[in-house]
This record gives sequence, C-alpha cells and structure tokens, in this order.
Amino acid sequence: MAKLKLEHVTKRYDDQGETVTAVDDMNLDIDHGEFICFVGPSGCGKSTTMETVAGLTIPTEGKVYIGDRDVTNLPPKDRGIAMVFQNIALFPHMDVYDNISFGLRLRDYPTDEIDRRVERAADIVQLEGMLGRMPEEMSGGQRQRVAIARAIVREPDVFLMDEPLANLDAKLKVHMRTELQRLHKELDTTIIYVTHDQEEAMTLSDRIAVLNSGSLQQIAPPLTCYNEPDNLFVAGFIGSPSMNFVEGTVESDAIVTKNFSLAFDPASVDGVGVGDSVTIGIRPEDIYPGGLRGEIADHSALIDARTDILEPMGDEIFAYMLLGEGETSMSQEQASSDQLLVSIDPDSDITEDEDVQVVIDRGNVHLFDTASGEALTHTLEAAWSGDEVTESEAESDD
Amino acid sequence: MATATDNDNEGPLTRWVQSAIQNPEKVYRALFYVAMVFFLVTTLFPFYWLLVLAVTPSGRLLSGSFLPTIDLFGVSATFPLPVPKGFNPAAFVSVFEQVPFHLYMLNSFALAVTTTVIVIVVASLAGYVFGRLRFPGRAVLMLGILAVSYFPPAAFVIPLFQVFAGNAPITIPFTDFPLFTPPRLLNTPGSMVLPFSALFMPLSIFILTTFYGQIPDGLEDAARVEGTTRLGALFRVIMPLSAPGVATAAVLTFIAVYNEYFFSSIMATSTEAAKWSPIVGGILSYQTQYTTQYNLMAAASIVGVLPVVILVIVAQERIVSGLTSGALKE
Repeated sequence: MAKLKLEHVTKRYDDQGETVTAVDDMNLDIDHGEFICFVGPSGCGKSTTMETVAGLTIPTEGKVYIGDRDVTNLPPKDRGIAMVFQNIALFPHMDVYDNISFGLRLRDYPTDEIDRRVERAADIVQLEGMLGRMPEEMSGGQRQRVAIARAIVREPDVFLMDEPLANLDAKLKVHMRTELQRLHKELDTTIIYVTHDQEEAMTLSDRIAVLNSGSLQQIAPPLTCYNEPDNLFVAGFIGSPSMNFVEGTVESDAIVTKNFSLAFDPASVDGVGVGDSVTIGIRPEDIYPGGLRGEIADHSALIDARTDILEPMGDEIFAYMLLGEGETSMSQEQASSDQLLVSIDPDSDITEDEDVQVVIDRGNVHLFDTASGEALTHTLEAAWSGDEVTESEAESDD
Repeated sequence: MATATDNDNEGPLTRWVQSAIQNPEKVYRALFYVAMVFFLVTTLFPFYWLLVLAVTPSGRLLSGSFLPTIDLFGVSATFPLPVPKGFNPAAFVSVFEQVPFHLYMLNSFALAVTTTVIVIVVASLAGYVFGRLRFPGRAVLMLGILAVSYFPPAAFVIPLFQVFAGNAPITIPFTDFPLFTPPRLLNTPGSMVLPFSALFMPLSIFILTTFYGQIPDGLEDAARVEGTTRLGALFRVIMPLSAPGVATAAVLTFIAVYNEYFFSSIMATSTEAAKWSPIVGGILSYQTQYTTQYNLMAAASIVGVLPVVILVIVAQERIVSGLTSGALKE
C-alpha cells in the first residue's frame, strides 16, 4: 500500500561493445491504489522498467522509491513487492500450497497464520480444493490464478504483473481480465501491469503509460490517451484498429493532402504556420459515409473513395477505402495517404470495389507536427468558424 | 527390378540380404541384442569370477582347474564357465576377522562423502555462475577449469606430497623466500579430500553448469521476488529442479573417490586403517610377504563394491524419475 516513484531511471546495457539504452530517463509518479498499465511494442523497455521496480535489474542511473523508501539498491525480497510473471513461473517441484506459501515460509510466519492466509488467497482466486495439486496437473488459467494467489498472499505494497495474460487463450484472457479488475477493487493495492495489448491496458487501468524505445510517451487515463494522444506514436498505438494518418501541408485556409483537403485556419492553433508539414490523424469511427453527414455537427467536404477490403466484425464493418488513384497499400502502417480505414454501421449494404463518398468528423480530427510527432490539436471544430459547414450543407440540400 | 521369378532363383543369402535391406529394424534389433550381450558379459563376468574365487576354499585355489570336465552322455567335455572348487562362504566372515576391513570401508566411505559434499556445494556455486550469469571471460575461465581435469593426477603427486608432509616451508618458486609452513596432513583425511575435491571438481562444474543453465530465468526471478537471495534461489529452486544433474555429479564423484587408490596409497604412508588407507589398501593387506589369500581378496572386493551398487541402484531411480517426470515446465 504505497506510492511508487521513478526518478530519472535509465538502464543501459553493454551489448558486445555497443551501448543499448533500454530505459531512457523515466520519470513516473504513481499513487497509492492506482492501476497503471505499461504498454508499448516489444522491446520498448516496459519490462525493463518493471524489473527496475522489482529489483531484478539495477538501474544505471536514477532512483526508485516505494512509499518513502529509496529502494534503488535493495534486493527484490526487501522491497515489499510481489510479481506475476509472463511465463507464470510456478515452482514445478512444489504443490499449490507450497507455491503460494513459499514467500511466507521464507519469512518464518507461524504455521496457522500461513494456513489462514493461503486459504484466503486461494479463496479470492477461486482455487479452493486444489491446494494439493502439482502445477503440471493444472490448466493454464488455474496456474495463472496460483501465480496471482502467490503474489497476493504476502499482501505486498506494490503488485507487478508482467504480461500475466499473454499465454492464455482469448476467452480465458477476457475472463481473467475481469477477475483482475475485481481483484484490484478488493485489494486496493497499487498495481503495475505490463502488456503489449492496448485493449487490456484500456480496460484495466486507471492510467496508461505508453512507452516507446525506452522513453515515456504519455501517461494519462485511458480515454485521455485515446482522445488526446500526445504524439503520433500514442495515437497510432492506442486504439484498435489504429488511427488513419494522412500527411498534408498547411495552407492559408486549409490543410491540403494528396487526395483531399480540410478547411483550417492556421491562426487558431498555436505553433502552426502556413507551409508546415502536418499529419492528420483520424480514427476509423470518425469517418462516415457521405449520406450520414447531416447527423454530424461539423463535417468535412465529401471525399471520393473506393472500397477495397471489408472486414465485418459483427457490430461494425471495417472498410479499407482507397482515395484517388490509390493502390492497395501493403504497408503495415496506415500512414499511406491513399488509404483510409473506416468503421461502418454493419447494416449498411456496402460492397467491395464500390465508389463511395465519405466525410470526416472535423470535431475529432487530430493534428500532429510531422517532423516532431507532437500533437498540435485534437479537434478542428474551434479552428474554423463554420463557413465550411454551410457550404457543405448547401451541397447536401439536393 | 527383380521379378518374382528372379527372386525364386536366387539363393537363401540373397533373399536374407534383401529382407534385411527391406526391414532394417530387424537388423538393428539383432545388433542391439548382440551389443547388449557383449556388454553384459564383459561387465558381469568379472563379478562372477570374483564370486567363484571368494567361495573356493583357500587350500584348493591353486590346484586343479576352475573349468570342470563334465561327462555328456559318454563324451567328456570341458564346461565353458568357471565354477567354484568347493563352497566356503566363511570367507566373507574371515575378511573382517583377519583385517579390520570395515574400517577401511568406513575410510573410503567417509572420504567419498566428504569429497562429494564439498564438490557439490562448490561446483553448485560455480555452476550457477557459469550457467546463469554472463560476464566477460566466462568461456576462458570455464576452459581453464576443464583444463585442470586434463592433467594426469600423477603430475600433482610429488608437490602435493611435499606440501602435505609439512616438513619444510613453502617457498616462492625459484627463490628461498619462505611463505608459510603447512601443517602435516599426511595420513589424515585432509591430504586426500583436498586433492580429490580439486581433481573431481571440473567434471561436476561442467555437469551442473549445463543443468543450472537450463532452469528458466523466470523461476529464479520469482524466487527472488518471493524473498530469497540469489543463493537461496540456487539452493531452494534451481538445485531441486536440477536433481538429476546434481545426482549424476554426486554419484560420479562418490564412485570415483570411493574407488580411488593412487592418491590415498601415497598420502596414507602405510596400509593401516588408522592412517586412512582406503578399501584397496585393505584388500592389499590380505597379501603378506609369504602368502596371498586370493579368496579373501575376492570376498573383500565383493563386500567393498556393495555400497556402490546400492548407491547406483538408488540414485538411478532418482535420475530416471527426474527424467520421466517430464521436461521442466514453468
């Protein structure tokens, strides 16, 4: 039950003469009882950051505080932490009871106290009657619950979870996710949770810390990360499928891209000048078929597009649309200016290779500085008086 | 391309060869049995021969043949296996009466156990370092340790004897500058356990390095987070999970020391049990200037080998159970 603070934590490895910076000047302030998710792509330093908190890695520079104690150089056992590992890491030579009570027995707790705590932990993770089993006799989900019981039985100040659900199948993952939320509510302990799955991060956490190549990109509540990403990386990482990025140039009254332009007043946003290269970010759900433009308060002009691939998801259809003379993009990123991913109502009778028109909800257009990647604004609504709305309404009057 | 008609015309050898080519499993199986029988005979026959010698009364040892002539329906032939000339199980008792053979066994046993404990503890630490930590010079250091085991043990005997004799101070090489005078260790376990530990250490380090290196990092991390130190994780998690490897290293060390004679025959200045002479020293005590009691020597050899047989059977079960309980899963 404590706060957690990272101060200028940096970790460098020496890899055959080359210095690799795994974590670069990380500063974090985590409140008591918060559920924090570290997300980021593989190799972004999220696990290393967690290991510095756990004490399994000593940072090259910087300090780690748990509560008011400086624990930077303390061994893991003296830090008041418990950890759930990605590969579960139950001791294969011990039964469930011994696994859960391992830490308590090392600390010489009296037997009846150990029994009581193990019973309670087993109760919380619903493992009653399995205390005598060996790990190899259990399913993945059960093992995961043993690992969680092993962590909660010591009543640690901080819980560390390193991709605990990564090795579970999809259905179990969703189930365990709910269990974890319930657990967090019940225990009221600070939890740090590492995942590369942004969906897990969104659903679980109080705040998300987005990491990339060793440095913190943004730490904010999930919806803030989603609605107001600080930079291109966060914008692209949070949200599934990810945001459409279209590169454009600022002109005196609009942002002009290869295939369309959005009316824009450069004076309305700080730090934007005519001639700047900007990247427009639009989430798939903020693009609508042209026919629905009447329902959107502030929409863009109609954009001609042609449907390419449709991905029906049940509750929505993801439509890949090609703009202009665009070819199907093979690149992983949506940075292609010729392609837009649009989320469409599943009842609409859209087909592949169909010429359509779409509009963009200007209220949810994100603008990034292409060079630095920093966010400039998260809406164009205030940035334009509304002349364009009238103009396009005139169009729709037919 | 051989038709059925061609096949009929070919001889039995050709047909047999063809069937062997078509069914190589049959040949492999046959060769397996041949090899098995060969190894069984070569390993078990010496024991049988010891048993024959041990139960043969001493008076008849040197007279007549161990291969009896038998009458097979009027044709006399030599029985192909040696059989005892008489039956004298009392040899197994007089083994302990003539010489305190149990004390020699105890000496060997104590030396072997002490050495094994030292080797397993130290080699575990080394195995942990070599198997689980990455540091510059690891490969060179490992090679250096293995190089120790490539030296013939005899190369160390003379300097070690000088040291353990404790007569003269140890000097810096090529000078007369004395460093210290070592205690006299001859005829004590120290003079044997120390060189044994050093000589058998490299093999154990090698075995344990391989085993400890295979334990997933996550398990060690988990143990450390749960409250052990690195050492605690080694002894509570890594070693129990490497039980087959630890058992292998321990058994090999134990047997090697238990059977050792070369060093102990020199470090114990005579074959007396009180001077920590080992089993072989005891066996040789049945040989005096004028008599050699082959039957007692054979009986003592059998008695002496029993603890090792028991150990191997017990340890083998442990090793097999360790292996069959499945590859290590986290």
